[in-house]
Amino acid sequence: MSEPKAIVFIVDDDEAVRKSLGRLIRSAGLGVETFASAQQFLASPRADVTSCLVLDVKMPGLSGLDLQKRMAEVHLEIPIVFITGHGDVPTSVRAMKAGAIEFLTKPFRDQELLDAIQQAIQRDRKMRQQLAELAELRGRHGSLTPREREVMKLVVSGLPNKQVAAKLGISEFTVKIHRGQVMGKMRAESLADLVRMSDRLLIPSAETHRAGAEITTPQPD
Amino acid sequence: MKYNLTHAFWLSLGQCLLGIAALALLTFVCFRFHANSTTVALLYLIVIVLVSLKSSLVPSALAAIMAYLCLDYFFTAPLFTLGLNQTLDFVAPIAYLTTAFVIARLISRVRKSNEDQRRAEEALRRSQAEMAHVTRVMTMGELAASIAHEINQPLSAIVNNGSACLRWMAGDSPNLAEAREAAEDIIREGNRAGEVITRIRAFLRKTETDKVLIDINQTIRDVVILMRNEAEGKEVALHMELAGDLPAVLGDRVQLQQVILNLLMNGIEAMVCITDRPRVLRIWSREYEAQQVLVAVQDSGVGLDGKNLEEIFDAFYTTKLQGMGMGLAISRSIIEDHGGQLWALPNNGPGTTFQFTLLKHSWDRLCPSRKQ
Repeated sequence: MSEPKAIVFIVDDDEAVRKSLGRLIRSAGLGVETFASAQQFLASPRADVTSCLVLDVKMPGLSGLDLQKRMAEVHLEIPIVFITGHGDVPTSVRAMKAGAIEFLTKPFRDQELLDAIQQAIQRDRKMRQQLAELAELRGRHGSLTPREREVMKLVVSGLPNKQVAAKLGISEFTVKIHRGQVMGKMRAESLADLVRMSDRLLIPSAETHRAGAEITTPQPD
Repeated sequence: MKYNLTHAFWLSLGQCLLGIAALALLTFVCFRFHANSTTVALLYLIVIVLVSLKSSLVPSALAAIMAYLCLDYFFTAPLFTLGLNQTLDFVAPIAYLTTAFVIARLISRVRKSNEDQRRAEEALRRSQAEMAHVTRVMTMGELAASIAHEINQPLSAIVNNGSACLRWMAGDSPNLAEAREAAEDIIREGNRAGEVITRIRAFLRKTETDKVLIDINQTIRDVVILMRNEAEGKEVALHMELAGDLPAVLGDRVQLQQVILNLLMNGIEAMVCITDRPRVLRIWSREYEAQQVLVAVQDSGVGLDGKNLEEIFDAFYTTKLQGMGMGLAISRSIIEDHGGQLWALPNNGPGTTFQFTLLKHSWDRLCPSRKQ
């Protein structure tokens, strides 16, 4: 599996700390991009690769916690490792509850940081893989004809062919043909497989399907 | 309270006896020289006034009655009998008692207002010193937080760079360029932390501009007044031995008070657990070598190991459970800023002596430009 180098984004207002973090993380073979403020991070274009964010809690302007909140609002789901000068309990609890990977108090041991970063990157990789699989499924689903989609919807809700045929006003034989097409195009090995796929595609509810489509990553043609 | 009552009783008794003695002497002299009864009556009145001025109501009234009895017995006819026979026998007791009563009342009122004023002044001085202490502690707290943050940044950069440096050098193909850059940054950040400390020092010095000519003995007395209660509460005897005619020193009164207060507090705390010998805290002042004044605080407490004698002046060094370890460090920086020295010596017996020197004031030092 030859995927591009994972990138660690570093947001810290102290230049020396930023630089030293970058140097340390690069030594572990990871890519690094540094930002002096939360605003700068939000404004910059980011490469669409596996990544995580090393974020200072206390910064002038937008604080680390503010940035975490802002990212959640715009569905920017990059795993966060927090670092702070003085780790008070309420702040760390807030950060961890909002989904942070780790909350480290400066100065920390290099291994602690690198472990947390590895964990964050793995989480991001897993998340990306799931998204890619979903996109792949959507692509397959998109290649179905409207009639095949209708058949699939009814089949996965547990109706036998006869009833599907009755509902759609077509012959049972036609349903069988469509069903075979659906299984083939969706690359489903069994009915159970197809049901799982339709679960992930959120097919039963037309509305969630549309909402899900908005966060779809570029679809393969 | 009990002590005060007995004290007042003995004082009154002494005053009564003194009054009686004065009256007896006067009576003897007048009787011997056959003085006229009116003259004697006036002389008695003077004695009563004097006694009333110097004592309280009871001795004054007693003197008035005694004077009347003597006058009636020895000087008004018929002699050697008591009885209201003449006008003087009626007038004298009334005049004597009125005088004694009025003067005693006036005097007690004056004394009370003096006492009130003294107490008010003491309370004022105490609250000023407390305020100075609180301000200083608060400033120290803020300062400590600021130090923590300012030092922590370069420190974490140093730690990161150190780790990065080792990692770049490790392995089969070490990246020496990266490792060198990391090492260079370590040096730069170390210097940055040093600059932070220099800035803090400068800040501490900046607050020490309030130097005036002061009498160090008076400063010691001011602090000792504050410490009396504390010392009594911990059953410590506080002895003050101040040299007379000490030259004035140029200094910040509040800061020097802080230093003395700190040394006395430390001394008291060092003796809290001493039970097998008296807890004695001595503070003395004297001239020291040429151009210097020395102040020493000696306790009979647990003492310090020889190797600790310098360490105790380091910031954050403490032997107390609830201490920040800043007291002696700050004290030393204050004294050094005054051009003096603060050091500790083990006693010959148990305990430790802390002493500091201050430069004697001289106009040359105050205005160096004068010479030119």
